Amino acid sequence: MKKLEEYRDDLERCVKCGTCKTGCPSYTVAQREWASARGRVSLIKAHLDGDVDFSEKYLRQIKECTLCGACSSACPNEVPVPSIIMAARAEQVEAEGLPTGAAFVMKRILDSKRLGPLALKAASKLQGIVFKDAGGMEAMEQSGLVSRFQIPYMPIGCKDRLVPGLAKTFFMDTRLVKNLKKEHGKGARSGVKVAFFAGCAINYLLPRIGEASLKLLNEAGAVVIVPSAQVCCGMPALSLGDTDTAKSLALKNLEAFEAVEADFITTSCATCTRALKDGFMAALTDDPSLTERVLSFSAKVRDITELLANEFNIIPRLKGADSKTVTYHDPCHLGRGEGGIRDEPRELIEKSGHAFREMKHPCGCCGLGGGVSFTNYDLSMEIMRSKAENIKDTGADILATACPGCMIQIKDGLNRFEVKADVKHVVELF
Amino acid sequence: MNYATITETDMEALRAIVGEENASFSIEERLCYAYDATNRDYMPDGVLFPATAAEISEVFKLANARPFPVIARGAGSGFTGGSVPVDGGVVLSTERMNRIIEIDTENMTALVEPGVVNGDLQTAVEAEGLFYPPDPSSLKFSTIGGNIAECAGGPRAVKYGVTRDYVLGLEVVLPTGEIIQTGVKTMKGVVGYDLTRLIVGSEGTLGVVTRATLKLVALPETVKTMLAVFPSLYAAASSVNDILLSSPLPSTLEIIDGACIRAIRDFSGGKALPEAEALLLIEVDGTDETVLSGTETVRRICVEGGATEVRIAAGKREARELWQARRAISPSLKKIKPDKLNEDVVVPRSNIPALIEGIQDIAKERGVIIASFGHAGDGNIHVNIMIDSSDPDEDKRGQEAVRDVFELTLKLGGTISGEHGVGTAKAPYLGMELSADVIALMRRVKESFDPNGILNPGKIFCSAPIEG
Repeated sequence: MKKLEEYRDDLERCVKCGTCKTGCPSYTVAQREWASARGRVSLIKAHLDGDVDFSEKYLRQIKECTLCGACSSACPNEVPVPSIIMAARAEQVEAEGLPTGAAFVMKRILDSKRLGPLALKAASKLQGIVFKDAGGMEAMEQSGLVSRFQIPYMPIGCKDRLVPGLAKTFFMDTRLVKNLKKEHGKGARSGVKVAFFAGCAINYLLPRIGEASLKLLNEAGAVVIVPSAQVCCGMPALSLGDTDTAKSLALKNLEAFEAVEADFITTSCATCTRALKDGFMAALTDDPSLTERVLSFSAKVRDITELLANEFNIIPRLKGADSKTVTYHDPCHLGRGEGGIRDEPRELIEKSGHAFREMKHPCGCCGLGGGVSFTNYDLSMEIMRSKAENIKDTGADILATACPGCMIQIKDGLNRFEVKADVKHVVELF
Repeated sequence: MNYATITETDMEALRAIVGEENASFSIEERLCYAYDATNRDYMPDGVLFPATAAEISEVFKLANARPFPVIARGAGSGFTGGSVPVDGGVVLSTERMNRIIEIDTENMTALVEPGVVNGDLQTAVEAEGLFYPPDPSSLKFSTIGGNIAECAGGPRAVKYGVTRDYVLGLEVVLPTGEIIQTGVKTMKGVVGYDLTRLIVGSEGTLGVVTRATLKLVALPETVKTMLAVFPSLYAAASSVNDILLSSPLPSTLEIIDGACIRAIRDFSGGKALPEAEALLLIEVDGTDETVLSGTETVRRICVEGGATEVRIAAGKREARELWQARRAISPSLKKIKPDKLNEDVVVPRSNIPALIEGIQDIAKERGVIIASFGHAGDGNIHVNIMIDSSDPDEDKRGQEAVRDVFELTLKLGGTISGEHGVGTAKAPYLGMELSADVIALMRRVKESFDPNGILNPGKIFCSAPIEG
């Protein structure tokens, strides 16, 4: 992974024109220059020059970036701000180590042998002690949970914060995935082999997205495989600055997916898509012997919406009495910049038999990313506020998106700002 | 001018005025308020985020007593150093003063605070069927306060004029602490000197604007964007006059030269702009009918003037892409050379071809690359002399080219800055355009507003001028 020091030329390319302030979620809320990309670039430059150390203010500004990339995709000089921020975080972690809680989560939970270690299974059974069901009638993973009390040192346990409960059965343990192993390939028409990458959010929290994805892939005629040796995509580690864990995870995934020799690798999580397409490269570039393998892996990766829209023929559903109005939120990890996947999810929504209505600023960040929802939950919700208003203005029944992370954040936000709309993944509309 | 160092006592006093959380003296915060789009850093001693005119007035009273410099700052997107603290002191950021107080649809005016972003105001008034025409390239992030201080223009100036033409009245905090109202809320008004016009474009040296009453006009029904491709810069420049003689008047008429086109094509992957030696980006606005006939007239004139292709944007999206490409020109020039000497000269329209030809001669003679683009419709051309300033010889040749360009401009009956202001960047050249008597009068005006020289020192007037 490129070290912060190696970004000097990129930092020098910033001419301080200010274009990056437009659309920057943290600047929009803070209205302070240090919360903009231009300000962060200045501070990081000063840090490299030895004028600013790991001061509280410095760390705050590198941690309060959602890494959404609105700045870099607008920047006329293509300063890769999110990569620079991640390198700045890595530099600090290398110098000062990870906080204990984060280190535990990274090493013991994310970087375990496979998705779904015993500790989390136990937690799934015990979660009722700490959290209560927010929805009442529905199953926990449908409606979400709120903390019964403020949990010390656990930002996820902010009182009144709506979080999805741990699934009773993790995606990788569902009957659908288990049976797939036995009968894989049966009845598949196209002969196109697709390996599904579940990712943590879908596996532990929202398995229903994984199930809906597999159903659609099956319908499309794909031969679906879910490699059991897959692990976390590594993005949480990368965005925390934990390069070691990111590398270890990347290697495990590389091996797990090479073993199944698929035509495509797909995931229903925008963040995993980004990590598998780009993050891999970043985390493994230290080892030139892996370059070719990594490139051929990355070349196969497609987001589920991209794969279904471009490689398969999904039969359009007819609009009927139960058709709803759907609006779409572009996840930052999917829709940004040149080559961003923006048309494909909309194309699928059109085919789902629902009516589509565009919201204002569909590309605006939801506030979850870059760890901001953990480091500064209030800021993350302030960023979410305008998203909630824009969703409300469409009057849509359903907010669809293509990222379980965004879904969790938006569900919490809509609940907080009292906007009535269901939150679904695009694949769940069918 | 000798200023006092900001002491702990001063910091305490400033915190008391604006509130603890709205005053910062940390190195991290100061670093982020040391620059503007000229990309030259001058560290302030502190940054304040006032919310009211009264707070700013209190800051001035303290600053006069000590004395220390005070510099107002909007978005920090200026091109001439208008908001950088060259002599230290405290920066007054208007970021918290960002409310649109009122949009009066009946009288077609808006009352705003200085920190409102131009683009946000445009969106807000357009929702009411109204229009705020001044559109600097930085409109998505630059503030109305900064626009007023620099008298920002923009592509629409050819039809609609510049910021000055839309400011009816102001609330201003004078550097001596008084809070005054200038101008009127009406379309006319001649009582006393026109202080509003004096403040607009005064580059933050005479007072800090805390409220502005802006004039709005009716939102045009339709806008059509078109792009004409020319085989030479001269051919494009020559067509400008013919287009303006046609009716209805185009609302924008931008010219882009080959060097700029290549830089933009590099940046956008070649999508938005075609390969050419010169382009005219033209907009026609009005009713559906006038726009239809106007577009056709402009197309015909361009073809007669030698255009090899005239593209009419099919929809809003294509128009937006063309404009994004146009607005990205200035920052993306860095692709050519690391540093640019960015000038925005204006000549009477009929002299545009002569200016453009002259600039190309200067580039050849001095051995530098000059990328030109800008508002051909009002004769305002952005001349970017691209250099690597770490090369002393190239730096010298660049500086000489700047002087040559100014001389040429003045010879053609023009002015050395149309919309960026003088700031620090053009201060040494002031005497080339203005007579000694005029400069002396301007200095007396400055002294009568700011006897202790605390407000935005080091701008416009320069201690080491280049003689004209």
